[in-house]
Amino acid sequence: MLIWKASYLVPEFSLIIVLVIALALIFDFTNGFHDTANAMATPIATGAMKPKVAVGVAAILNLVGAFLSTEVARTVSGGIIKEGDGGVLITPELIFAGLIGAIVWNLVTWLMGLPSSSSHALFGGLIGATVIGVGTQAVDYNVVAAKVILPALIAPLIAGGVALVATRLAYRITRRDLGKPDGRGGFRYAQIFSSSLVALAHGTNDAQKTMGVITLTLIAGGFQAVGSGPTFWVIAACALAIAIGTYTGGWRIIRTMGTGLTEIKPAQGFAAETSTAATILASSHLGFALSTTQVASGSVIGSGLGRRGSTIRWGMAGRIALGWVMTLPASAIMGAFAAGLALLGPIGIVLDMVIGTIVIMALFRWSRRNRVTHHTLLNDIDDAGRVVRIKKTPRRPARPGRGDRRKVSL
Amino acid sequence: MIDWSAFLIVTAASLFSAAVLVSLYSLGLRLLTTAGRIPMVEPHEFTGAITVLSPKKAAKQLKRARKAAAANPLTPGLKSLALFAGYACFVLCAIAVLYGVYLIVPALHR
Repeated sequence: MLIWKASYLVPEFSLIIVLVIALALIFDFTNGFHDTANAMATPIATGAMKPKVAVGVAAILNLVGAFLSTEVARTVSGGIIKEGDGGVLITPELIFAGLIGAIVWNLVTWLMGLPSSSSHALFGGLIGATVIGVGTQAVDYNVVAAKVILPALIAPLIAGGVALVATRLAYRITRRDLGKPDGRGGFRYAQIFSSSLVALAHGTNDAQKTMGVITLTLIAGGFQAVGSGPTFWVIAACALAIAIGTYTGGWRIIRTMGTGLTEIKPAQGFAAETSTAATILASSHLGFALSTTQVASGSVIGSGLGRRGSTIRWGMAGRIALGWVMTLPASAIMGAFAAGLALLGPIGIVLDMVIGTIVIMALFRWSRRNRVTHHTLLNDIDDAGRVVRIKKTPRRPARPGRGDRRKVSL
Repeated sequence: MIDWSAFLIVTAASLFSAAVLVSLYSLGLRLLTTAGRIPMVEPHEFTGAITVLSPKKAAKQLKRARKAAAANPLTPGLKSLALFAGYACFVLCAIAVLYGVYLIVPALHR
C-alpha cells in the first residue's frame, strides 16, 4: 500500500523501487531453496525425516525465525559499502544490479548442485555494482577481507574439526562388541531436534539480509526515515519468500550435501548438525557471522573423517570449495555488468530485466534436462543403500520384541 | 582489524558445546542399550536407510537379539538405574537444545 501511494507522489523513483523489492524477494526465495540443504540434507540422508516433512519443518522454522529478530537487517550493509553522508550513497539502481548478479549466481550454483553462500553472492553482487556505479574507492576492502573472506576460510575448518571430534565421541561412547545392538538408530530422534535448531538459526539470519536490502532501498528512496528498522510488511514478505523457497527444496544441493560428500549414518548426522548449530550460535554470539552453508559443509566433511571406514569424495569437496572461491568474484562481475547497463538509464534497466529473465529461463530449461526432485533423491539414496547392503552385511540383530521384517541398519 | 582471539574463542566454545551435547546423547543411548531397551528408530516409510530382510532372516535376527537381551548381566535394580540415568542424559540434552533456542531468539536474552 505504502508503495502505491508513494509511487503516485514520486513517479520517477517508484518503478525502480518496486523492481528492487521484487528482485529482493526473488533473491530471498533462491536463498531459501539454496540453504534448505544446510539443515535438512543430513536428516534426509539418514532417513530421520522424510524429505517432504524435512523441508516442511525447515520452511516453518525459517518463517518463524524471520519474525524473531531484525538485528542483522539493521546492519546488513554495515561497513562493506560505505554509505550515508560521509561516504557514498548507494542508489536503488545499483542495488537492483547487485541483486541480479546475486540471483543469477545462486541459480548457477544450484544447477551445479553446489552449496554456496547466498550472503557471499549478495555481497559480491552489491560490491560489483558499487564498483561500476561509484568507483573502487566506495568498497571497504579491509572489511571485505576481515568479514567475508577470512571467515569463509575459517568456517569450514572450525566446523569440520568440531564435527570430527563430535563424531568420534558419538561412536566411541556407543561402541559395543560386534554383534551386540548398539542403539545408534536412536540418533535419528536427536537429528530431528538438532537439524531443526540449525533451520531456526538460519531463519533468524538469512531472511534479514533481504529485509535489510529492502529497507535500505526504501530509505534511499526517501520512503523511510534514515536509521529506522524494517517495517512489518517487509518482514512478513521476506519471511514468506524464504519459507516458500525453503519448502521448494533445492534437491540438487540436498543431494550433494547428503550423499555427495560422504555416506552419512545417524550418529554422524547428529554430530554434524550439533556441530553446525554450535558453531553458528557461538560465532554469531561472539561477534562475527559465519556462513551457514560453509559451516554445514565443513561439518559434513568432518563427520565423514570422524567415522572409521567412511570415505570422503574429495573431488566433490574440491568442487564445492571452488564454488565458494568463485562466488564473490563471479557475482561481482555479474553485478558489475548489470550495473553498467542499469546506469544507461531506464532503457538499461529494461535491458537488465530482459537479459536477466532470459538467463533465468535458460537455466530453468537446462535444469529440466535432468530433474532432481525428492523422488529422484529417494532413488539415489535407495541405490546407495542397496550397494552398501551388498558390500557389507552388518551382523546386527533385528529390533527385539517386534516381528517387523524391516531392520534399521546402524 | 582481524580479531584472531575471536576465532579461537568461537572454536573453543563450539567444540565444547558440541562435544558435551553429543556425549550426553550418546551416553543416554548407551545407558538405554545397557538397560536392555535398545532404541531402534524406524525410518518411517523411507526405504533408503533401512535394510529389508527376508522373513526367515528377520526371524533369525530377532532370535539373536532376544538371546542378547536375555544375556544382560545387570540385575533388575541396576537396569532401572541405567534406564533412569539414560533418561536423565536426554533431559539434559533437551535443556541444552532449549538453551540454543534461547540464544537464537534475541527477545529472550535482551
